[in-house]
Amino acid sequence: MDFFTAQDHARRNTGRLVFFFFLAVLSLIVLTNLVVMLVFGFFQPVTDGNANQPAFDWTIFFGIGTAVVMIVALGSLYKVSRLSRGGDAIAAMYGAKPVFADDPDLSRQRLVHIVEEMAIASGTPVPQVYVLDEEGINAFAAGFSTSDAIIAVTKGALRTLNREQLQGVIAHEFSHILNGDMRLNIRLVGILHGILLLGLIGHYILRGSSGSGKKGGGVLLGLGLLMIGYAGTFFGKIIKAAVSRQREFLADAAAVQFTRNPDGIGGALLRIGAHQKGSLLADPKTEELSHALFGQGTKIAFTSLFATHPRLEDRIRRILPDWDGTLPAAGEDGPIHEKMSGPSGPAAATAGFTSGSVVSRIGRPGNDDINKAKQLLKNIDDVFLRAARDPFSAQAVLLYLILDNSSTVREQQLSHLKSSAAPGISPEIRKLIRTGRAVQAEERLALVELSLPSLRRLSEKQAQLFLGNLNSLIRIDGKITLFEWCLLRIVSSYIDDYFKKPIDNTTTRIHDLEQVGHECAMVLSVLAYSTRHDGLEQSEVFSRAIKETGLPATERIPAEHINLASLQKSLQKLQQLSPQAKALFIKGCVSCVLADGKIDPVEAELLRSVAATLSVPMPPTV
Amino acid sequence: MSTSVIVIFAVIALFAIYFITIYNRLVALRNRFQNAFAQIEVQLKRRYDLIPNLVETAKAYLKHERETLEAVTNARNQASQGLAAAAAAPGSPAAMQQLAGAEGALAGALGRLNIVMEAYPDLKANQNMMQLSEELTSTENKVSFARQSFNDQVMNYNTYKQSFPQVIVASMFGHGQDASLLEFADSEAIQAAPKVSF
Repeated sequence: MDFFTAQDHARRNTGRLVFFFFLAVLSLIVLTNLVVMLVFGFFQPVTDGNANQPAFDWTIFFGIGTAVVMIVALGSLYKVSRLSRGGDAIAAMYGAKPVFADDPDLSRQRLVHIVEEMAIASGTPVPQVYVLDEEGINAFAAGFSTSDAIIAVTKGALRTLNREQLQGVIAHEFSHILNGDMRLNIRLVGILHGILLLGLIGHYILRGSSGSGKKGGGVLLGLGLLMIGYAGTFFGKIIKAAVSRQREFLADAAAVQFTRNPDGIGGALLRIGAHQKGSLLADPKTEELSHALFGQGTKIAFTSLFATHPRLEDRIRRILPDWDGTLPAAGEDGPIHEKMSGPSGPAAATAGFTSGSVVSRIGRPGNDDINKAKQLLKNIDDVFLRAARDPFSAQAVLLYLILDNSSTVREQQLSHLKSSAAPGISPEIRKLIRTGRAVQAEERLALVELSLPSLRRLSEKQAQLFLGNLNSLIRIDGKITLFEWCLLRIVSSYIDDYFKKPIDNTTTRIHDLEQVGHECAMVLSVLAYSTRHDGLEQSEVFSRAIKETGLPATERIPAEHINLASLQKSLQKLQQLSPQAKALFIKGCVSCVLADGKIDPVEAELLRSVAATLSVPMPPTV
Repeated sequence: MSTSVIVIFAVIALFAIYFITIYNRLVALRNRFQNAFAQIEVQLKRRYDLIPNLVETAKAYLKHERETLEAVTNARNQASQGLAAAAAAPGSPAAMQQLAGAEGALAGALGRLNIVMEAYPDLKANQNMMQLSEELTSTENKVSFARQSFNDQVMNYNTYKQSFPQVIVASMFGHGQDASLLEFADSEAIQAAPKVSF
């Protein structure tokens, strides 16, 4: 299943869930009405002759209906808002502590490096890393989108797992992030909570009325609500667990696919089996995170029905088919067996690409990509790496990336910063210039991905000021390149996502590419203008790209009709494309870049940047 | 009767959820500024690590200025202690004031050192010294930037806490005291201090 299909599934499943939800609420209304009618209809003292005929009163029915809907909706909304407040807030809720690359502890440093490699390999911003003070071996991913995603790992996992095994765990969590599992599960948990709230209210009514000694109606009403609520939650939990178990198998398979190393994740699972605490967590609140955990977090009865994770043995057997069933001796020897696996062999040869093969690798980084990411991290100048990981100088890095090549414009840009940016930014940029090492094209996006999470540590005011400066720096020379534009778009949508409510972009979906034919033509024209191919006319490149997307042939848009505002609007519109339509459009982009059969680093970077503006994670070895 | 009971319960539920939301938001905002303080801590620590090197390098040249150098070292140690206290309770007025005071003293001592160094062009041309003061400048910038971020977050927290209806329930939820900004009385001097050594 490729990235776009997985995204589609996650969304379609959400649609199906909403449908079931409506059914559930409808039956809840009917059931509650039945209970109320039982309580207040049949058990009322007979006052007149026709009491045997249960009066059906529509106003009461609707009254109860509204109340039930309100309670369930409130419960769901509350839970969803609690869980979708962003990864950092969720991590804070469980007392996880953030970890940065400059941590003195080596095992934590290694954890940050593994996450950075995996993020660069899959072409997403690096998630913030957290450590959870728990002894069990476990990990979770949280957040609504890649821009507020976090990954948290328990202390037990850090202590027990070696690099390979930890990498397997992180790859598993990345699969949850890339496949949109968190979004799906937040809603599931939300709906369940709404139904549970009904039961809770019943519980309170029951307790209230049995205490007051008043028998009859109250007790029955409470009992009824309690049963409805708990029965609903009971079945809901079974369904949720079933969905979750499937996603876990998927994530395990993805981890093997990403790392090409079944021993990593397999070894981690074996260690969980051998560890006395296993993957259990002490904090009972983690139950609501169960779907995002690496292993079963809470002890439960009726394992086969309620477990959010498949049995450990089943998971191990799927990954390591010839496992003999024995577990390694429990011990904390993981980190000692540290094997510093450097880049093994050269990255994949860059030949034989087709637009289909490139698209199929989106959101599915392979071992080559991880090696490539390692290599990139090694090649990038240390000054840049250190700067990208610090919130103050990360701004300098991003500004540096859009500095002009001509020294006069560059001076103009720097002096603009002197007056409008936070004090010290422009000396910081000069420091980067002084390293005298130009950033290679293929390193640029990696640097952006590394810098983005540092921006989370700015206050909102600071972030807006920075964004304003980035914007005006790009415009200073009166022209704008596609890379500059993409950078601005990536950074600003990251910041907006992070500081405002996560934008839930399910509101208006465009399924048909033809609806946005003009916008597609606009972006593809720009791409055709920005890439160079020997012996090929730009118009030829463009029309091939259009053909690849399946749109009716159109004229490319003349350069003088393209400006920043129209490009901006176009990409914003394209962001609403459904995953499958997005895949088609990306195919067109790839064809633009691949027109002469090869991709050079500059073109690859351009392609990945355009993809990143559409939240499509493209691995670095395309 | 049935509808009114249900409506009452719905209203109670609504209120409960509303207050829980307020509580969550308070916690989240407090978390934010506490995290922001961690950023200041990182940079200040870095600064306190750089100062002994600076003193060491200057010692070789400033044989007759022992007092000035000692004052810097003492002020640095004071400030380092202040930081440890402040990191334990970011936003508490007493801790913030103590740190601000210690930082002010340190800035004063560094300022005096810089004036003294003016008289030793050799020292100023020393490669090591130049690198150190460059790093110090950059760290100063980062400190003031992190401080601004912290203060922004503290303001957000205080504003949210003081607005209606949070103001009624905040102290019930254990958010009674306003968080305190971290203002360095002598920020001007801190900004100016390292520049002199160029």
